[in-house]
Amino acid sequence: MKNPFIFIALLTVLFTACKEVPPVITPLQSDNNGQVVPRRALIEEFTGVRCVNCPAGTADILNLQSIYKDRLIAIGIHAGSFSLPYTESTIDFRTEEGNNIINLLGRPLGYPSAVVNRKKFDGEFNLQVGRSQWAGFLAQELATPPVIDVKLSVTYSKISRKVQVKVDLTPLQALSNPEIRVSVMILEDKIVNEQLTPDGKQPNYVHRHNLRKMLTPYDGEIITNLLKNVATLSKNYSLTLPDGWFDLNCSIVAFAHLGGDKLEVLQAVEAKLF
Amino acid sequence: MYPSKLLLWLLLLFLNNSLLGQEKTSSPGGQISGSLQSNANFFVRDSLIGAANIPQYDRQKFGADAWLNLNYSNWGFDFGFRFDVFNNSNLLNPTDSYTAQGVGMWFVKKQIDNLGIQAGYIYDQIGSGIIFRAYEERPLLIDNALIGLKLSYQISPNWQIRGFTGRQKQQFDAYKSVIKGMAFEGFISSAKDNGFTLAPGFGIVARTLDDQSLGQLVATLNTYTAQYAFVPKYNSYAFTAYNTLTKGSVSWYLEGAYKTRDAINNPFARTVINKDTITGDRFINVPGSVIYSTLSFSGKHFGLTLEGKRTQNFTFRTRPQAQLNRGMVNFLPPMARTNTYRLTSRYNAATQELGELAFQADLRYTPSKKITLNINVSNIATLQGKLLYREIYAEVQLKLDRKRILQFGVQRQEYNQEVYEYKPQVPMVRTITPFIEYQYKFSRISSLRTELQYMHTGKDIAVGYGQDYGSWAYLLAEWSIAPRWTFTASDMYNAAPGRNSPERAGKKLNYHFPRFDVFYSIKSNRFSLSFVKQVQGVVCTGGICRLEPAFSGVKFAVTSTF
Repeated sequence: MKNPFIFIALLTVLFTACKEVPPVITPLQSDNNGQVVPRRALIEEFTGVRCVNCPAGTADILNLQSIYKDRLIAIGIHAGSFSLPYTESTIDFRTEEGNNIINLLGRPLGYPSAVVNRKKFDGEFNLQVGRSQWAGFLAQELATPPVIDVKLSVTYSKISRKVQVKVDLTPLQALSNPEIRVSVMILEDKIVNEQLTPDGKQPNYVHRHNLRKMLTPYDGEIITNLLKNVATLSKNYSLTLPDGWFDLNCSIVAFAHLGGDKLEVLQAVEAKLF
Repeated sequence: MYPSKLLLWLLLLFLNNSLLGQEKTSSPGGQISGSLQSNANFFVRDSLIGAANIPQYDRQKFGADAWLNLNYSNWGFDFGFRFDVFNNSNLLNPTDSYTAQGVGMWFVKKQIDNLGIQAGYIYDQIGSGIIFRAYEERPLLIDNALIGLKLSYQISPNWQIRGFTGRQKQQFDAYKSVIKGMAFEGFISSAKDNGFTLAPGFGIVARTLDDQSLGQLVATLNTYTAQYAFVPKYNSYAFTAYNTLTKGSVSWYLEGAYKTRDAINNPFARTVINKDTITGDRFINVPGSVIYSTLSFSGKHFGLTLEGKRTQNFTFRTRPQAQLNRGMVNFLPPMARTNTYRLTSRYNAATQELGELAFQADLRYTPSKKITLNINVSNIATLQGKLLYREIYAEVQLKLDRKRILQFGVQRQEYNQEVYEYKPQVPMVRTITPFIEYQYKFSRISSLRTELQYMHTGKDIAVGYGQDYGSWAYLLAEWSIAPRWTFTASDMYNAAPGRNSPERAGKKLNYHFPRFDVFYSIKSNRFSLSFVKQVQGVVCTGGICRLEPAFSGVKFAVTSTF
């Protein structure tokens, strides 16, 4: 081998000679991308009071919400290995529905973790995706026009604390999916309670968009056949707010989604109680 | 998906030729060999030790992993094929369940004069793996095979060049990014007797991001403020040059690697979002470098190895979104001793891709056939000088006579749990672990081996308990009846519970983690049945580690080679 460096030089040139055209970085737009009915996306953030990195994940989601406004609906689900309350905790954020949902959607490999529109994205092992992927998948989902519209009407009596919810589901095209479901949740935002953070346990941490209860079964209510016979399907639900829930911070989230092998969210909507 | 017809054809080829091979056992040509590794886990819920709240404990109760490997050689070709099964497996994600099965690997190899061709799943590495290593580690379910084509050419008897291109395996699929590379390696020997030899090499690896990964990266960068945003590149290049110089009993390996500017994830980044400072994942666009060297001397009674490594921003993944032990294109050599005792191996130093400065010295002295001394010292710190890991290990082995072997020693560890396990506000774990092992041969076939270890852990002043899980005692007895049977009983006892030990009614519990094993070997088959209670810990292979939850249940394993 008389002159091996010729090979090295040649190959180096081959590998590095080509300049590439860089991608364009443009700030995200919160407009509707020209969609008549705007597509809204759901991000289900799995968290826990013992999850030290979850507050960073929540901050990311709030940042994304500041960009997408009401087109991004966030739900904080306290479930999994970090959700056991501390002795100092005055609220157990865990819910039966949350525990069932984490079993339905799969458990994260690490935290922070979230499920975007309950979709298994190309190249992912399951529905749970890490923080660095949320923005990309959300952009992808929000660029897709909705196939169904979901509208919410919420009435609330401050005296009786009764909440009445009407969900209107209007297919925007013929739906061939074998199973369509609707799920309705009630969230409570800004609950001050114990949370582990990188600076230690914080008793005054503000927990955001917390799942408190579901008005449908945890995996939704099947509406496939009901949708076939009407232009708009209306479903009614009601609930009396338990004591201790701060009504001003409560909101209702409704979303249409698939059932069976695929669980993808087709469209979602959120409305405050008043 | 890969062409199912091709796989079917390969399978038929194997079956057909294995039968032919059996019929033609005396004829030259076809040779088939293989191996089976299978593990079955029966999960028994024990919420006190944390073996709960995952699907296997809650409802599935049973999980299994198996790999059947077949190799066949004929007509100058080599064929390989592996069938993988994962049923409710906890290997991919220790807190979730994974079920899939299919062809985990296949390849076809052919040597045509000086040209070597391999297509299919390729396992290979360049140098020590710093810029490229396609490998498999089953305990962590790492299978980073490159699916593609590899060509090698023997330029002269001492010089070889090889190149490859493909995509990294992702369970039964493949990542979309394309990886390509080449390595040029040689061997130079001085003409003199007792002269030196050189084994130089040079390698390049390039990774081209797929549009989807780059699109997602761009979407994420679009959410960054101007001070953190950057324009990412599709292509990233890593270069390495390495050489082993050998003269007499001395061997010196030196490798230097550089990676061009690339988007990598910094899990410790401090980011200001809406006036709040957040610590956690953020993409950064930086070049990387590694310098790694090993100097070793091996004499009749004395052996010494010195190692040093400096790493800076050398995360090299199939896509920047891949995290933990997924999508790794390369492998950074670990710089701490690989311990084997239960307690001395409890804390491990995972390789820090973003930055570490590490040194290790290993001294072995054998003054006579009956005595062996081993001293190992390692020190790993961040590039800013913050201590990550330090270990001092001393061991003596005495062959007392033909029946008795005594081994004893002590280990001192300092382990930065805050960094390695992402646990904020926890102190450096400091341990001292003396251990003793005694082996006695009753007869030519019967022997008893016992181990006694104690890990003393420092106090976590903030909580008034021992650090992490506190102090541990470990006792093992292993009775072997050669060549078939081995019976093992052990107990790991939380002698002085620490801040993370389970508690009941506000009182920390002194918990036992017993284990019983029966091993049976016959010819090339080995069976094992184990009852296991295992505390949560960090499991490492090489420098790659992950947090492993507690285990409670029964394990059954079969391994076979044929």
